[in-house]
Amino acid sequence: MPIRRVLSINRGEIAARVVKAAHALGIEAVQAVSQADRESRAAQLADRVVVIGPPPSRQSYLDAQLLVHTALQTGCDALHPGYGFLSEREHLARLCAEHGITFIGPAAETIAALGDKLQAKAIAEAAGVPLVPGTAQLAQAEDAVAAAESLGYPVLIKASAGGGGRGMFIARNREDVQAGFDKASNEAREAFGDGTMYMERYVENARHVEVQVFGDGTGKVIHFGERDCSIQRRYQKVFEEAPCAAMPDALRAQLHRSAVDLVASLKYRNAGTVEFLYDMDRQAIYFIEVNARIQVEHPASEQVTGHDLVRLQFEIAGGEPLRWIQDQIPVRRHAIEVRLNAEDPYRQFQPSPGRITRWSPPQGAGIRLDSHCYERYLVPPYYDSMVGKLIITAHDRESCVLRLQEALARFEVEGLTTNLPLLRFIASHPDFVANQLNTRWLEQVLLPAFEATRE
Amino acid sequence: MSSTDKRKVTADDIENLLEIFKQSGWDEMHLQTGELEIFLSNDPAAQGPRAAAAPAAAPVAASTPVAVAAGTPAAPIVISAAGPSGHAPIPAGQVAIKAPNLGTFYRSPKPGAEPYVEVGQQIETTTEVCLIEVMKLFTPVQGGVKGIVREIRARDGQMVEFDEVLIVVEPN
Repeated sequence: MPIRRVLSINRGEIAARVVKAAHALGIEAVQAVSQADRESRAAQLADRVVVIGPPPSRQSYLDAQLLVHTALQTGCDALHPGYGFLSEREHLARLCAEHGITFIGPAAETIAALGDKLQAKAIAEAAGVPLVPGTAQLAQAEDAVAAAESLGYPVLIKASAGGGGRGMFIARNREDVQAGFDKASNEAREAFGDGTMYMERYVENARHVEVQVFGDGTGKVIHFGERDCSIQRRYQKVFEEAPCAAMPDALRAQLHRSAVDLVASLKYRNAGTVEFLYDMDRQAIYFIEVNARIQVEHPASEQVTGHDLVRLQFEIAGGEPLRWIQDQIPVRRHAIEVRLNAEDPYRQFQPSPGRITRWSPPQGAGIRLDSHCYERYLVPPYYDSMVGKLIITAHDRESCVLRLQEALARFEVEGLTTNLPLLRFIASHPDFVANQLNTRWLEQVLLPAFEATRE
Repeated sequence: MSSTDKRKVTADDIENLLEIFKQSGWDEMHLQTGELEIFLSNDPAAQGPRAAAAPAAAPVAASTPVAVAAGTPAAPIVISAAGPSGHAPIPAGQVAIKAPNLGTFYRSPKPGAEPYVEVGQQIETTTEVCLIEVMKLFTPVQGGVKGIVREIRARDGQMVEFDEVLIVVEPN
């Protein structure tokens, strides 16, 4: 059934993106906001704004009951979760289904299956997708030591229920395993309510690559190419590129096939991202996880394929068939997305909310900005610090990098402390320009060099 | 310019401020911190810090936790939350009981039952004045102020948003 009115339950740039996509399809948009977001861009764009609760997320954007109640009371027939917050909570998807609200995302069962990391790996394995050599769950530190000795150090010890870099540590020898296992397990129990741990071989020279997929819910799946998100700080992505220029075509084909096979085996519905580790020394890929949502970095894939993925989310959720075939989705350009955050890169990335007094983004060919910010906008202190995504597109990586450098140089923001100096520094660094980097490059090479520029 | 030193204001902070204000002998006090703006006045006709400039910004009384207003029945306390009000102003000397979150407003404990309160009724701070429902979860709202109910603004069975004025009370 086509969607007539959607409740947008996220905030920031993605909420504005969702409202615009809805309007482009003739769908009415109701924006749920916390009290702190009454003046937000999404609230300005929406047909109706409802204040659901006070600023803290727990009483607003994280309250599934409240949001579904809001959808029902405002006559919405669909709900778009955005990313983060409740986007990958089985509970929300189930609640929507129970009340006749179309959840714009995967089925609740799919979210549940993929949200459990061990189960997700079993699904991948069953679909013939390569995994990092590793273990099933580990009962205690002694088991972990034995497993590590047979896998070979270094190893990565992770919480089954963890995510976003939380609940994991690297062990380089027996002592590390013994010292860290119980502590990490206790922390995981504390943070996620589940202390289950498992282990993997740690790949030293890796890139983070991920495939953007879309399924129609019947088993048909297409992909929109891959993104290279290797530039990360504390497992938070800072730069995202499409395609992964460092990957040979043969491996790329295997990457895409693996991603499609995995989600097709689940009869996946709507947008998803299959994440892989690209082991550059062994020229191999290993499955990491599936993110059952639209991601922050989806615009990079939109730019290189020419498809509007949020619009496609609405169409699939509204019951339209996936009318594209894979050959209609060639990757022809290169795109780089960088995340502009209200944080001070010179002071341990301390968040720096406040009122924007000057907002002057670059404009021109190949420059896209996805942001909810404007001059005089108050960046509230309650939420994450991302204030925008600058997405640069060109016909190849080399010209894309040049255009990025030039665009970042012209980006002016005042009133907030932002990470712009860091973004500029990365974009101009010889390793980045030459695309000679891995997932640890930002923390180990770039940040020390960046900090040295301060002195 | 960052404002990283900003922290959240708690109900206790406000009570402390009220105490300071009462003991100070000041006529007015206007405090702005982050998103919260507090205007205290001993003048019953006070309309808020910028009433003349922005008549639309209705002075609205303490929201949840409504107990904020409880300790000081005599002083007309005006906490003017920045942002669009959209509500009719609260008459001077009266305070609003506001919605603790979005939900459906009910005047009675169950369909057909007597309403919790009627206009003209005396309420205590702990008197239950209405229900807010979210997905069949019914949460009673307490008055948070001792006084006489002057208006019932929200309509029975209708959705109310967070911070919306439900009931207007004249403290005593």
